[in-house]
Amino acid sequence: MKLLAIIQLTFRESLARKTFIAFFGLSTLVNLLFLFALNLDIVDGAESYISLFGKEIDQAFELEKIVYGIESVVAVGLFTGGLFMSLFATSSLIPAFLEKGSIDLLISKPLSRFTILAGRYLGAVAIVAFNVFYLVGFSWLILSFKTGVWNFGFLLAGVMIVLTYAILYALMAFLGVTIRSGPFSLMITYAILFFSPLLLQREAIYALLSGKFWGYLLDFLYHFLPKTTELGNITRMLVQHAEIASWLPALTSLLFGALMFAAASMIFKRKDF
Amino acid sequence: MYVVETDNLTKYYSRGKIKALEDFTLQVEKGKIFSLLGPNGAGKTTLIKVLLGIVFPTRGSAKILGEDISNAGAHSRVGYLAENHRFPEFLTANQVLFYYGKMSGVEPALLKERIPQLLKLVKLENWGDTKIRKFSKGMMQRMGLAQALSNDPDLLFLDEPTDGIDPVGRREIRDLLKNLRDRGKTIFLNSHLLSEVERVSDEVAILKNGRLLQKGTVEEMVSVKQQFTLQLAEGYDLLQALCAELALPLVSQNGSFIVSVRDDAQLNHLIDKLRERQVLIRGIVPRKITLEDFFIEVVEDKEVAAP
Ligand SMILES: Nc1ncnc2c1ncn2[C@@H]1O[C@H](COP(=O)(O)OP(=O)(O)OP(=O)(O)O)[C@@H](O)[C@H]1O
Ligand SMILES: [Mg+2]
Repeated sequence: MKLLAIIQLTFRESLARKTFIAFFGLSTLVNLLFLFALNLDIVDGAESYISLFGKEIDQAFELEKIVYGIESVVAVGLFTGGLFMSLFATSSLIPAFLEKGSIDLLISKPLSRFTILAGRYLGAVAIVAFNVFYLVGFSWLILSFKTGVWNFGFLLAGVMIVLTYAILYALMAFLGVTIRSGPFSLMITYAILFFSPLLLQREAIYALLSGKFWGYLLDFLYHFLPKTTELGNITRMLVQHAEIASWLPALTSLLFGALMFAAASMIFKRKDF
Repeated sequence: MYVVETDNLTKYYSRGKIKALEDFTLQVEKGKIFSLLGPNGAGKTTLIKVLLGIVFPTRGSAKILGEDISNAGAHSRVGYLAENHRFPEFLTANQVLFYYGKMSGVEPALLKERIPQLLKLVKLENWGDTKIRKFSKGMMQRMGLAQALSNDPDLLFLDEPTDGIDPVGRREIRDLLKNLRDRGKTIFLNSHLLSEVERVSDEVAILKNGRLLQKGTVEEMVSVKQQFTLQLAEGYDLLQALCAELALPLVSQNGSFIVSVRDDAQLNHLIDKLRERQVLIRGIVPRKITLEDFFIEVVEDKEVAAP
């Protein structure tokens, strides 16, 4: 109940930010595009023609492939652009609520400090989940109804995207609590997103390194930090029903998220405001 | 049982460089308006923050409503108006009261009923649907007060409640506080407005550099011991002569005389002498100063007061 109030309040606060309005608008646009631009006419039962964005598509193309393709584009777009926007829009949520005058009030409520932080965190995850599933859910329904291809992998991809956000936001929460600066937390998180593909390809640059130490350091960073590139690949493979070689990157990334949130709440619990 | 109890409460900031509270021991009784006075930086806000778990004490212990301050459980019966409080600006007054009331554990149905009453109490009844970013400073302060009352608390912490509020509003708040006290609530007040504190408080404590300098009722603080204002029908010359004879300090102030005596016996001796000479006495009034005079005296005198 009391926790819910914090989640609701955070949700509202995020909605009050322009970025989420833009996100929402963009999602609506994509949904409308699918709703009106994608035509599927079934002629004589057996033969069907699909016109995509006004252009007719050869029946030889497998319908399933096309649907998977479209859904992959949406999922990957969300995984990159959507995450980028969501992190940006929620970056100041933690530092803002730690400001004098507002955190005092929250602590004076009959809530443990852990609940306060968790409520804030869950509120941010809730707004992102809402936005992601607004796009994923509706476009899934539209595409499925129109084509008859019901791809549940696409919904799972939505879950992966929210999960990835939750992992990265745990890091933002940790940085927010320790450094109390939204832009700084954002920079670090973006840096991790940016360097993730490089860390994955670290073998390729081992030769360039001057000593073994740097190799170990890269190894450590790869294993410790969230593996967003691989999470992105998993997301795409879920949509396309491809074989996922290993869930380990997802598990270790989750572990990183849990660790960050635990550290954030430990620090938050002991802090003077 | 005391509503607020502290035992050698100590709070240092910046690794001991700033001693915001030093061995602070205090009890506040139920159903009282208790005011904490002190110059800027004395530690008043720090004390409230320690009591509410917003900062952690360096040493010592404290209880509010019988529960240790490390336990947030008592907070459902506590209301708090923070110094420079801020609410999310995109909310309307109604929404602020709803969400923050809910966080205090009040049932939504009950809150819906209570919110109009709260707004009426702080004279914001026509502003319920307005976003608070449009509020003036005084209105924000009223909003904070309404929020602090949203869970009908037994113990109310108010840090400078009348800051930015106009004189009429201040009187209304004073009346509101007295009303709450009469309903058995305890009010813990931080304020600089001494004339206000004087009018409303049952008990006052003066804090400086984190130490408790004085504690008592307003009455005790404003009456000056062993000084009396004498009002006579006539015979002031005689009074002056007598005082000179008895070596009693006498000063005239606004047409009446203030005499300082050692004890009650000496006062009565002076009265006997006056009466012996048929001087008509209109009144003998224990001298009072304003709380402000007392405050300044205490704060300036006891520069390095012992605890
Ligand atoms: N978060 C903090 N970190 C370091 N020092 C602090 C902090 N908060 C307060 N202080 C210091 O503690 C002392 C007491 O501050 P406090 O805010 O309790 O004073 P106050 O009596 O409420 O003053 P005012 O009348 O100005 O509100 C001051 O010297 C202040 O500088
Ligand atoms: Mg203060």
